Amino acid sequence: MAAPMEVALVSDAAGPLCNCSVWELHSGSALPGYRGGNSGPRGLALLGGEHLLGAQLGKSYINVWELQRKDQLQQKIICPGPVTCLTASPNGLYILAGVAESIYLWEVSNGNLLAILNRHYQDLTCLCFTDDSSHFLSGAKDCLALVWNLYNVLQAEPSQIPDPRHVWSRHSLPITDLCCGFGGPLARAATASLDQTAKLWEISSGELLLSVLFDVGIMAVTLDLSEYHMFCGGMDGSIFQVDLCAWPVQRDRTFQTERENGKVFKGHRNQVTCLSVSTDGSLLLSGSHDETVRLWDIQSKQCLKTMNHKGPVTNAFIVLAPANMFNPDGKPSVPLPKFSRHLHGTESSDEPGAEGVTLRLGLHQQEPGQSYLEKAERMYSQMYSTREKNLVGDQEHLTIQVSELEEEVSNLRKINKDLFDFSTRIITKPAK
Amino acid sequence: MTKKRKRQEDFQKVKLKVGKKKPKLENATDTTFKTKAIQIPEQLKEDGVLPTQNRKLNIKDLLSQMHHYSPGVKHNALLGLKELLSQYPFVIDAHLSSIISEVAAVFTDKDSSVRGAAVHLLQFLASKIRAEQIAPFFPLVSAHLSSAMTHISEGIQEDSLKVLDVLLEAYPALLTDRSMILLKNFVELISHQQLSKRLKSRDKLSWMLSVNPNRRVTSQQWRLNVLTRLKKFLQAVVDGSSDTEDEGLQEQKDNSHSVRHPICISWKLHANNQQHIQLAGSLRPKINSTFRLRSLTSVMDSAEKGLSSAENLKSFIEIIIPLLIECWIEASPAQSAPILGNLLESESQQLMQQVLSIIHLLWKLTKRHDETYKMELWLRMNYLVDFKHHFMRHFPYSLQDSVKHKKKDPCKSNRNCMKSSNNIDHLLLNLTLCDIMVSLASASTLQTDSSWLDMIRKFVTDTLQDGSKLNSKQVNRLLGVTWRLMQIQQNKVATETLIKAVYTLYQQRNLLFPVRTLLLKFFSRVYQKEDLRTQRIRSRSKVLSRWLAGLPQQLALLGLRNPELSNQLIDIIHSAASRSNKELLQSLQATAARIYDPLEGTLVVLPPEAQRRLVQLVYFLPCLPASLLACLSRCCIMGRMSSDLAATLVGILHMRSSFAGWKCQVQDNSVNDVDYFSFLFSTLIGFSREELTSLQGIRGKPHISQTQLSPIRLYLTDLDQFLHHWAVTEVICHSLSTIPSQSQCFDILQTGICKYLVGLVVIPDSTAGSVLCAINKLLDQACIISENLHRFLASCCYSLLYFLLTIDREDAEHLQKRDMLWRSCISALALLPRLLRLMLQSLQVSRICREELPVVAQLLRLLMQHGQLRSHMITNEFLVQQIIKDIMTLKSGEVQEQWLTDLHYCFNIYLASHPQTPGPINTVY
Repeated sequence: MAAPMEVALVSDAAGPLCNCSVWELHSGSALPGYRGGNSGPRGLALLGGEHLLGAQLGKSYINVWELQRKDQLQQKIICPGPVTCLTASPNGLYILAGVAESIYLWEVSNGNLLAILNRHYQDLTCLCFTDDSSHFLSGAKDCLALVWNLYNVLQAEPSQIPDPRHVWSRHSLPITDLCCGFGGPLARAATASLDQTAKLWEISSGELLLSVLFDVGIMAVTLDLSEYHMFCGGMDGSIFQVDLCAWPVQRDRTFQTERENGKVFKGHRNQVTCLSVSTDGSLLLSGSHDETVRLWDIQSKQCLKTMNHKGPVTNAFIVLAPANMFNPDGKPSVPLPKFSRHLHGTESSDEPGAEGVTLRLGLHQQEPGQSYLEKAERMYSQMYSTREKNLVGDQEHLTIQVSELEEEVSNLRKINKDLFDFSTRIITKPAK
Repeated sequence: MTKKRKRQEDFQKVKLKVGKKKPKLENATDTTFKTKAIQIPEQLKEDGVLPTQNRKLNIKDLLSQMHHYSPGVKHNALLGLKELLSQYPFVIDAHLSSIISEVAAVFTDKDSSVRGAAVHLLQFLASKIRAEQIAPFFPLVSAHLSSAMTHISEGIQEDSLKVLDVLLEAYPALLTDRSMILLKNFVELISHQQLSKRLKSRDKLSWMLSVNPNRRVTSQQWRLNVLTRLKKFLQAVVDGSSDTEDEGLQEQKDNSHSVRHPICISWKLHANNQQHIQLAGSLRPKINSTFRLRSLTSVMDSAEKGLSSAENLKSFIEIIIPLLIECWIEASPAQSAPILGNLLESESQQLMQQVLSIIHLLWKLTKRHDETYKMELWLRMNYLVDFKHHFMRHFPYSLQDSVKHKKKDPCKSNRNCMKSSNNIDHLLLNLTLCDIMVSLASASTLQTDSSWLDMIRKFVTDTLQDGSKLNSKQVNRLLGVTWRLMQIQQNKVATETLIKAVYTLYQQRNLLFPVRTLLLKFFSRVYQKEDLRTQRIRSRSKVLSRWLAGLPQQLALLGLRNPELSNQLIDIIHSAASRSNKELLQSLQATAARIYDPLEGTLVVLPPEAQRRLVQLVYFLPCLPASLLACLSRCCIMGRMSSDLAATLVGILHMRSSFAGWKCQVQDNSVNDVDYFSFLFSTLIGFSREELTSLQGIRGKPHISQTQLSPIRLYLTDLDQFLHHWAVTEVICHSLSTIPSQSQCFDILQTGICKYLVGLVVIPDSTAGSVLCAINKLLDQACIISENLHRFLASCCYSLLYFLLTIDREDAEHLQKRDMLWRSCISALALLPRLLRLMLQSLQVSRICREELPVVAQLLRLLMQHGQLRSHMITNEFLVQQIIKDIMTLKSGEVQEQWLTDLHYCFNIYLASHPQTPGPINTVY
């Protein structure tokens, strides 16, 4: 595959035969799907281009496929409860899952459960990473959307719960969907809610930028890559296109009646559950409760293709196809470890030094090198010691310094006086 | 040749002849005109006369008189100036600089009457001159003020305070800019520096109170005067530096100083290109951080910063607090009259009040700074012992004794809440003291401070418990102290008693609205704080849960009386419900029937914005029983809620029903499917059963449309009601259509219609339309319609069509219904061929209905012309022919009218011109 190809991953609530079907976006040719179980809403995630994760609907485990082996399930991650939403960080290092009102954070490389975040008051509905994996957003049925800094979460002491960076509490009914734009910590994020609004926020400052009030509850929201448009899927099956970059230039538009419907995609008969825009911003994929997935041309708002499914569509999104998907021989570089069910640090307290990673630059180096953790600690202590030294200061050093400085001052005074005398002499001379 | 000739023409020689007059030159001046002289007695003057006052003195004269040696002249000049300026205000603008410099100069005049007049004039000027106008002259004014304050003569010092009053009233911001000089002046007014040798060795100057026997007033009175001004001044400083801070409950809002206003847009306007969003260029991503490269204030000179710098503030505190303590000691009862206990004379009490408020203000200023914690530690270290010794010794100060001694006070019982006769609020005094002391304590020092903290806690608890008549200022202070106490001591036992005390106050019946608001804010803050803790270690306060659980009840009781308070209650309920607080949800469930009562429930009486919040609350109700759904359905129908809101409600219920979720998920079964369907059905019908039965009795033209050919009479609804009902119908139809198994859904609808509507004689037009609309939406191949329903629908259809065709042209109200009803009738007829046939069959024209004949004919014509229906009409050609024949026979022998010819024409065009298919159709019938 020379050119990057976009594929649509679609799963529905009643597909025991084929959990997740895959089809090529532009040609529409179906590729073999992934079998076994069925994934819950917002519960399908691509992990690092090598694995596909799907949260089993109504059961408390996550299905894992290796991308190249489509026919069979490779692993099940057992979770403490039914997973309501699932996402993986774009850099493939972390997995987030919402179980009831807590967010679980796993590290992929070793399967440790790093954090359980209990800041929501009701069940989670959606989770989303920023594109640089530095922050993540969570939305829940308690009408709150929280923005978390991943590293703050990781660094927090196990005893205390880290605070989210922002708490967005302007919605008045449950959050139904989140979408994070491009730009890492400077990105904008869109939230959709049952209270009939979609809101656009800024992650950096946490401020609300835009709020659009609709006639129906909004179930899904997405932004195109350039953030020219925001697409909102309504409860009644229409998809609204909000132009984020419209110039208020009024050219004469004679076909006003045609223009009126120019911002609504009509076709779904039941609530729209998921939306996704292709990379070039020309195609929109939408899944709905009416058991169809539709592909739309954004420019003309026409439906290009309708795929019928057996049950309500739970997930539908467009991704650039990872190479492993088509290469039957490609194997994940690292096998997925066993995911732990207990919070890391509480169970493995046998040896405190065991957590530090040690990088050895040569095997011939015999003595065990310090781990980075230890190094960091040493540096930290050094920094502190110098600071304290500065604060306390030994008396002798101080007196010497003071005397030096005083000498300097007197010297400067002398020079200044000389300068003054010289200039007064010059100035007063012609006045004579 | 030609050239030569031309040249000759140009320069013709004029030939002069003797005896003839010389011809006039072309440029000769005509000198025949005549002139007359105009006399101007004087030049036009523009600037000369300045306006003058009664005694014919203009501004310049008056200002020059200010330098006169005689006080009388100066006094008169000032009075005259005031008179002049009040008559001609424009003079002020022209001569502002000289006026101000002259007036300010007499602040220090030796004669008291002159100073008095100057103060009067200043007061007058302050009302006329804006702050930005006087700003350039303010250094001068304040310099004169300073020199007056530091003047050696006592009279001038005393009057300078009056000047200060005026300036503080009019230009607080300008005055606080020069706080350093003024604060020093204040200190010098009541004290003098101690220059003894012992103290000189230390670099610090120590101040002590001065007593000047020459003053006209007692030194205590004098100090009171000065301290009152100092308090006012500090108040201005505090107000100026932050005007948003809430005094008692310090709203610890993260200083989001530059909150951008979000763009709020409604979709409808955006879709019509009426509102545009421009997000790209103008809105750069902003980073909200408290980090500053350098503070904005540090640019200024440190001397100019006044109290805004921590250092200056510290040094001022160091000077003033010992003085204040000295004042306190002199005023305090233990010194003056040890026998009388806590008796407070009015003057000394006022003094104490001022002392405490000054300290309180200083504390507030210290909280502005970055290192609040460090500052608090410093304060604690330096002053805690003194304060404890002097202030706390007789802590609950009261008027009790003095009242007893002087006269029997009739309302002794609520002494705490009354302002005493000399205008001192001694409760406020006590509370201020509490506030000061409490801010010195912190969680880490709890052990050492427990003795006096206990005293304060007891006082606060007692005050709260019998505080039915507290005013909002007192309550604010009280709650501030309570909050701080709760912060300091976080164990449950201590906080619980405090919350309980506040709750007792809250339960009082007739609290003022601001007090109620303060209490609500306090509670919601406590609740939010409690909620922030983790679930596992969260221990709920019982009183708090009781308070929360009481809220829905209060909301229901409140009704329409105070919408603002209702809003606050709804806010709190909403936030608690969204956090699924169990107690609240239970009590909300219990009171839901009253809140959502269709007749006088909270939902229908409140303004639309509150209604929206209440409708959203429905989502959080744990369980929606049939009775509640019935209430909600009535609310939707009755039109006291807008149709948008009704649509929202239907949407929310749809989300709560089992049809919105995922099939495999475990349903919580909070909404029974049967109840949900009955909700949808009764909302679709739009009239309750009682209403329908009462409609049956109505007869007569204006309300009822009646036809001979159909058993159903239509009740004509008002246009408003009709439109509302129609909007709701569309939403309901959509909800019905999203239910997965369409045929079952249709069966349920069919049963409902057969049970409740079939057999009625009078049916509202909107209901008939809605039913047709719903059937159009739901019908698909699998549905089987019963004979009963068919017949009912057919008569509905004909009644509606008849009504539509007989609407008066002038009847604007009913004309608007036409399109919607017509569309639903036609699409029903197009969808159900059998319906059309039944309707045609029912058109048995006879003699009784002769006047209806034109309508029937018009109807047939329209049906034939309609594109969708044409094919169905063709199949029913025989029936149509029959009807036409009947009409012909009834009409025979009379003049052929226009409608009849039209009908014939249409029939021939549309039906008779299809001879290619008549064979099989005819055989059917």
